[in-house]
Amino acid sequence: MKKIDVIHGRLSAPALVLALLFTLPAWAAAPLELSEKMAVAEASVKQANTTSTTENAATELQVATDKLISARKAWADRNYELAEQLAEQTQVDARVAQMHAESERSRKAANESQAAARALVEEINRPTTR
Amino acid sequence: MTTRFLTLIALTATLAACSSVPDRNSDLDRARGRFNMAQRDPQVQTLAADELKQASTTLDEAQAAFDKRQPKTTVDHLSYMTAQRVVIAQETASSRAAQAITANAAAERDKLRLAQRTAEADSAREKLAISEQSNARKTNELAQADAAAKQDQARIDYSDARAQALELELQNLNAKKTERGFVVTVGDVLFDSGQDRLLPEGTSYMARLAEAFRRNTNLKATIEGHTDSVGTEAANYELSNRRAKTVMDALVNQGVLANQLSVRSMGESRPAATNDTAAGRQMNRRVEIVFTPNSDVILAK
Repeated sequence: MKKIDVIHGRLSAPALVLALLFTLPAWAAAPLELSEKMAVAEASVKQANTTSTTENAATELQVATDKLISARKAWADRNYELAEQLAEQTQVDARVAQMHAESERSRKAANESQAAARALVEEINRPTTR
Repeated sequence: MTTRFLTLIALTATLAACSSVPDRNSDLDRARGRFNMAQRDPQVQTLAADELKQASTTLDEAQAAFDKRQPKTTVDHLSYMTAQRVVIAQETASSRAAQAITANAAAERDKLRLAQRTAEADSAREKLAISEQSNARKTNELAQADAAAKQDQARIDYSDARAQALELELQNLNAKKTERGFVVTVGDVLFDSGQDRLLPEGTSYMARLAEAFRRNTNLKATIEGHTDSVGTEAANYELSNRRAKTVMDALVNQGVLANQLSVRSMGESRPAATNDTAAGRQMNRRVEIVFTPNSDVILAK
């Protein structure tokens, strides 16, 4: 506002209108939608940050965390469009980390259960020594 | 100042427009490539259909943004979102596939365990059946042994009864129980004096004796002839022999089996009383029927 006041003092009317046309939409959209998206991004990173992800999807989690930091910074810099995009990306990045961790965990569990099944088959097929 | 500012704005707008209208967007192309790859994967198609749909929607948005010549940053952003949604779809599919494997393996294990338990139960049942059979067999054997024991007991009882009956019968014949067994004495009075012929009274007594032998074919006896000391030893021996034979013949004539009887001539060697008195000598002239001890009972067993 301060900046616009300064501009206002020096600019002609058409220029002011033009400037307002450019700045207002971004300005107006900022507080409501963006703060919601930022909150969702924060929550998704928080949710993704589990022992399973730090163990099985450390890189993917780092990407999401870094993206969140960038989003916060863009928000603080009032670069709202960028902040919105980064917030959206943070959310999918966090989801990628979660799903990668889950698929890793499922894969390990599948391997273990297959090994267990094989062991059981061997155990059963072994001639009994009773 | 104003003119310069306006020129700057116009220039920036133009530049932005120019930069956002290339023929292609490499990020969008890459996102589309990844999406197509995921879409061709049957596993992703079936196991992550919703996630794939979301990626598809975002891809459409990216394409629309590109077509509408929106800023490259917007198209890049939507392309990035598309690519990440494709990754989410792929990870979801692989995760679900692995979970299905785990579930199948668990089900397979349960099935195997069940089969194992069934086999164990069958085997136990079989063992039980075998042991029941063996029990039944043992019970049967026991019953048989029991029956055999009862039979033996019955036989013993029967033998005892017969022995007792025989004893009673012999007692009725004036048999005396001695250490040699039962002995029946056919006295001198039943014979013609100095002869081997039985008197009629003797004959009726013989009939009772014969009946006892006939009823107890296992009964065996030795017929011993005895005399007093009057006369020569040889003559006495001869007489005792003849008298014993007379008794045997009388019994055999009345149906006693010859193998139940044997004859022994004792002469004057075994006096029953003194030869010094007439009464003593009369007692010495006799035929003794010596029943083989327990012959009936022994043979019955």
